[in-house]
Amino acid sequence: MAHKDLPPNSGLSLKKKERRTPALKFAWRYYLLGCGLVAVATLLGHLASGLFAPTNIIMIYLLCVTVSAIAGGFGPAILVSILSVLAFDFFFVRPYLTFNVEDIQYIFTLIVLLLVGIALSYFTSMLRRQTETSKRHEQEMSALYALGQDLAIASDLQSYTRSIINRIKGTIGQDVIIFLPDARNEATLKAYTDSPEINVDANIFNAAMRSFQRKEITECGSDAIEGAKSLCLPLITTRRAVGVLVLIQPEDANDYSDEQERLLSAYSDLAAVAIESIQLADELHNAEILKATEKLQTALLNAISHDLRTPLVSIIGVLSSLQEEGMDLDDADKRSLIQVAREEADRLNHLITNLLDESRLESGALKLSLQPAEVNDLVGATLEQLGSRVNNRMIQIDIPTDLPFIRVDFGLFVQALVNIVDNALKYSPPDSLIEISGRHVQQEVHIEIVDRGTGIPEQDLPYIFDKFYRIKRPDNVSGTGLGLSITKGLVEAHGGHIEAKSQAGRGTIVSIILPVSADLMTTEKFNE
Amino acid sequence: MSNVKVLVVDDEDSIRRFLRVALASQSYTLFESTSGQEALSCIAEHKPDLIILDLGLPDIDGVEVTRLLREWTKIPIIILSVRGSESDKIAALDAGADDYLTKPFSVGELLARLRAALRRAAQTPGEPVFTIGSLKVDLLRRLVTVEDNEVQLTPNEYELLRLFVVNAGKVLTHRHLLREVWGTEYGNEFHMLHVNISNLRRKIERDTTRPQFIITEPGVGYRLRIS
Repeated sequence: MAHKDLPPNSGLSLKKKERRTPALKFAWRYYLLGCGLVAVATLLGHLASGLFAPTNIIMIYLLCVTVSAIAGGFGPAILVSILSVLAFDFFFVRPYLTFNVEDIQYIFTLIVLLLVGIALSYFTSMLRRQTETSKRHEQEMSALYALGQDLAIASDLQSYTRSIINRIKGTIGQDVIIFLPDARNEATLKAYTDSPEINVDANIFNAAMRSFQRKEITECGSDAIEGAKSLCLPLITTRRAVGVLVLIQPEDANDYSDEQERLLSAYSDLAAVAIESIQLADELHNAEILKATEKLQTALLNAISHDLRTPLVSIIGVLSSLQEEGMDLDDADKRSLIQVAREEADRLNHLITNLLDESRLESGALKLSLQPAEVNDLVGATLEQLGSRVNNRMIQIDIPTDLPFIRVDFGLFVQALVNIVDNALKYSPPDSLIEISGRHVQQEVHIEIVDRGTGIPEQDLPYIFDKFYRIKRPDNVSGTGLGLSITKGLVEAHGGHIEAKSQAGRGTIVSIILPVSADLMTTEKFNE
Repeated sequence: MSNVKVLVVDDEDSIRRFLRVALASQSYTLFESTSGQEALSCIAEHKPDLIILDLGLPDIDGVEVTRLLREWTKIPIIILSVRGSESDKIAALDAGADDYLTKPFSVGELLARLRAALRRAAQTPGEPVFTIGSLKVDLLRRLVTVEDNEVQLTPNEYELLRLFVVNAGKVLTHRHLLREVWGTEYGNEFHMLHVNISNLRRKIERDTTRPQFIITEPGVGYRLRIS
């Protein structure tokens, strides 16, 4: 019985009773043949006794021993050797027709004959065994190779089990069910079959469960198919039981031959290893996802706790100073304090808007309400939303009046633009120019936001649209590292894409590229 | 303005508290409700002059409250809503709400909208000439001038501008404008509307990116700025 302490190649032991091998079944024929050969040899020897010396007649017997050793193996060879010696002694050694040996040298002849017979039969039977073994190995190898090939191209559990089932069905000719631990509930097994017609009844399931838990072969009858039985082979690796392979045996099924048994054993070993490998890969993948999720949550938590609290620090600070009775604040002080609180509150609002958009983007809950919009209008709404922050900045807008409309969700697209312009404002000197331009390039509208600020170091450029990616800067500009990743998500949700070019110290160009639908290409028809 | 009654309908206690202070400072008489049902009975009882209505109420949807009110009264309704629920705002405006504010909003903005809504409600017919800054619209003579220069508008552009002037300060949804100017079957021709607005702005605005008169209400519609 297979046991967890045994290596995978422990093999199966499916036989309940010892069966006669084909070689054994027909062995008596070779003994009979041997007797016949000795009789023929004796007759030939008798006919030739006038012509040949008795020593040469022994050669005929030697030939018989050789033939029976090669054809019949060890037993017949011994029988023929003894019979030959007896016959030779009886018929050709004086005194004739007795078993007395007069001349002592024939005893030596007899011994040699016996030894030749034994040696020859031993070597031929060994050779035959070797041939048979290598032939079996070859069959096993080719069967395993075929399954290995199937498994190599399979990529998931479903196709793995399908390959295994098909291979076993092809060689053994019986229906197969594979039970594997259910991904959702490790305590139970899930059945994999190649056709929905195979009925997995409670009997089979319980037997498979038993086989899986005890790591041993079990058998059971079936309620579904009259007289059928099922044989449950646990799929065991050196580490654990990974599943159960169940063969559905029809009522009239024969016992498995040695070859089938060996094949089944090899198949189940290979299947066990293959299934374990994919299970391990799955576990690793899940662990990685979990790790990534945890990392993301930690980053999000850090970002939130830092960036949500920073504005609150100012707001609470301002409010508490206004509340404090002993403080002597003149109107100008109060106004400036309130201005700080107001700006920080706006920043907090902007941050929360981004976080909400991000979570909606992430969860797929973001529904775009698309409408044709004028780029000019979008830019205007963007500046409007940035409010006082843009009022004292030089902003040059260059949007041709014939620029096609783009189909966008106005509010969300403005949010994307706000994020970019916000960055341009943050990372450029207060007296520097910011340019916003729109261009019509073939079937696309390009919107560019150009600043003359600190720029983005080359090594950071590929990552600026990644979530939580923030460039290490000497100046302590606040931000979550969410803005650009959300912007990218929003632009892509509109079917467009976003690019950034930058030269450190000279500024940054962010381009949003959106396709123009054909129906928005012309505005002529609306001009009366 | 001393006897103007305002009803605030919001289930958030902190929001009612700051509105109480802000409105009291303007000498409005304040009523408060925390649910739609309560609001409906309060309106029937006290007949307020204006309602500030939160869309996210615990019992009846704010849009539904608006619809129920519009069956029997024209009391100005200002909707409070959060960003991202543009469709709710549009639904409330189409149901008859006069204006909306997106939370968080500034008190200054609220008071301006409130005054505009009260003014519209009290409007007496007359005043055929509307002036805002450099823009002058003479509804009687169908004459539009910017800095005393006559502006040539297409009939549809004029019709749009006329709607804005008549509803000065009020948000007009895209669909409302399309139906009023082109007819009900054009309710979804958004591109046509935006193109006409764009053309109209080019004729009356000094800077079309930062318009002074026709303001875009993102995802909802347009309004004429009045102050």
